[in-house]
Amino acid sequence: MSAKSCELRTVMVMNNSDPSRQDALSVRNLVVDYGDLRAVNDVSFDAKAGEVTVVIGPNGAGKTSTMEVCSGVRSASSGTVTALGLDPKKNRLELNSQIGVMLQDGGVYPGSRVLEITEHYCNLYGNRTTAKDLLTAVDLNGRQKSTWRKLSGGEKQRLSLALALAAKPKIAFLDEPTSGVDIFGRDLIRGIVRQLAEDGCAVILATHELDEAQRVADHVLMFEHGTLIANASLSELRDSHRGASQSLEDIFRSISGKSQQSRRL
Amino acid sequence: MFGSQLRQELTVMARNGEQLLLLIGIPVLLLVFFSQTNVLPTDGLANIDFLMPGILSLAIMSTAMVSLGIATGFERSYGVLKRLGTTPLGTKRLVAAKVVATCCIEITQLLALVAVGLILGWNPSSINLPSLLLALVLGTSCFAGLGLIMAGRLRAEINLAAQNGLYLVLLLLGGILIPNSELPKSIAWLAEVLPSSLLSELLRNIFGNNELKISDLASLAIWAIGACLIAVFSFKWSD
Repeated sequence: MSAKSCELRTVMVMNNSDPSRQDALSVRNLVVDYGDLRAVNDVSFDAKAGEVTVVIGPNGAGKTSTMEVCSGVRSASSGTVTALGLDPKKNRLELNSQIGVMLQDGGVYPGSRVLEITEHYCNLYGNRTTAKDLLTAVDLNGRQKSTWRKLSGGEKQRLSLALALAAKPKIAFLDEPTSGVDIFGRDLIRGIVRQLAEDGCAVILATHELDEAQRVADHVLMFEHGTLIANASLSELRDSHRGASQSLEDIFRSISGKSQQSRRL
Repeated sequence: MFGSQLRQELTVMARNGEQLLLLIGIPVLLLVFFSQTNVLPTDGLANIDFLMPGILSLAIMSTAMVSLGIATGFERSYGVLKRLGTTPLGTKRLVAAKVVATCCIEITQLLALVAVGLILGWNPSSINLPSLLLALVLGTSCFAGLGLIMAGRLRAEINLAAQNGLYLVLLLLGGILIPNSELPKSIAWLAEVLPSSLLSELLRNIFGNNELKISDLASLAIWAIGACLIAVFSFKWSD
């Protein structure tokens, strides 16, 4: 066994960062099948409150399916998920009041207006967050009367984030929050994500943009072909790949290559 | 939560101009046009007395089936239902909001149509309110069930076509404009058992102060229960 694959093993079992931070989300042996296709294959991980856990991997790696099971949108084929001590399927409404979700495609009626839909979501969660404050946070106060249809890609993403924030979430599931967003929007979204974590929220953020991932990640979950090929903090990953340029992209290539080799053997 | 969702349902509905045409425009137009012309066979009744019950059941069908079904189909394809599924709203409150929104629109439609009908000389013998309410509830449940079966399974554009197609079939074979007795024998038997015919027939008997046929009531009830059950079990929240 080469030194490098030993290193890989250490990476996979390291999961012992700050013990004061509690697991907000715990996934064990998760499997998601779509007919004959196994989208998620025996995945286990924990996500801590106060941390940004970034889920990375190519398209079709199982990121969205995993997020959707965790947020209760989809059923698991087998395995268990515990979020804030609750089962996402059995205690759905109880959990829903404490989580904020950003789906990959907004989920807003095209004719809905910005202020109106934000107010609606504030009403649904029934806490004291006001629509105006949320829209200020995502810099959409000037677009209150606009319909969803007329928003740009980046504006849609920011509104979608605002709707997730209406929950004052303890867990935030953000699926590709920066896709189609310009550079200023990215800065803004990144700032909000960091702030959420500082306020004690467990942020689970899926992306295939690795540059974005390494800017916000505390913890990294790497997916490939439905399996989890790495589960470690960003600093642990970097420490174990000193030789590489330290970019997540290089680290991903190195681990991904390994896992493909071992699959071939 | 419920109130906010109800407001959303009504806002989305009110914003769609084509819905207004379907819900008020078409029934009023048909009522005015065919009551003022003598092109339809009317089973020996005055034009307006024959038309009114049929047009009312057409109105129920357009709201509970076509309008609700198309809106729900698009909500499903835009991911609105999936997105709402992550909030504390819950299925029960969502369905309740849709039921109340549908009833609000039906009441508005009925008031408008009755007003137009009275102006055109409609003169119902006497109205048994409990029977009327029962017929309307059964009809609404049945058409809502049919609309949601399609909305819960079909792609949004196909759903749109299917809702309108079924609307046209149920209009022609529903004793709404043309009495079923005028249809060729080969399809008359089919028309008799369709929910649009059953509802029109019930309303015609209610307004004509005739005995209600228990068999009509029972058949419509079977349609209503069956359609709602299939809708509940076949409905998919996202594509």
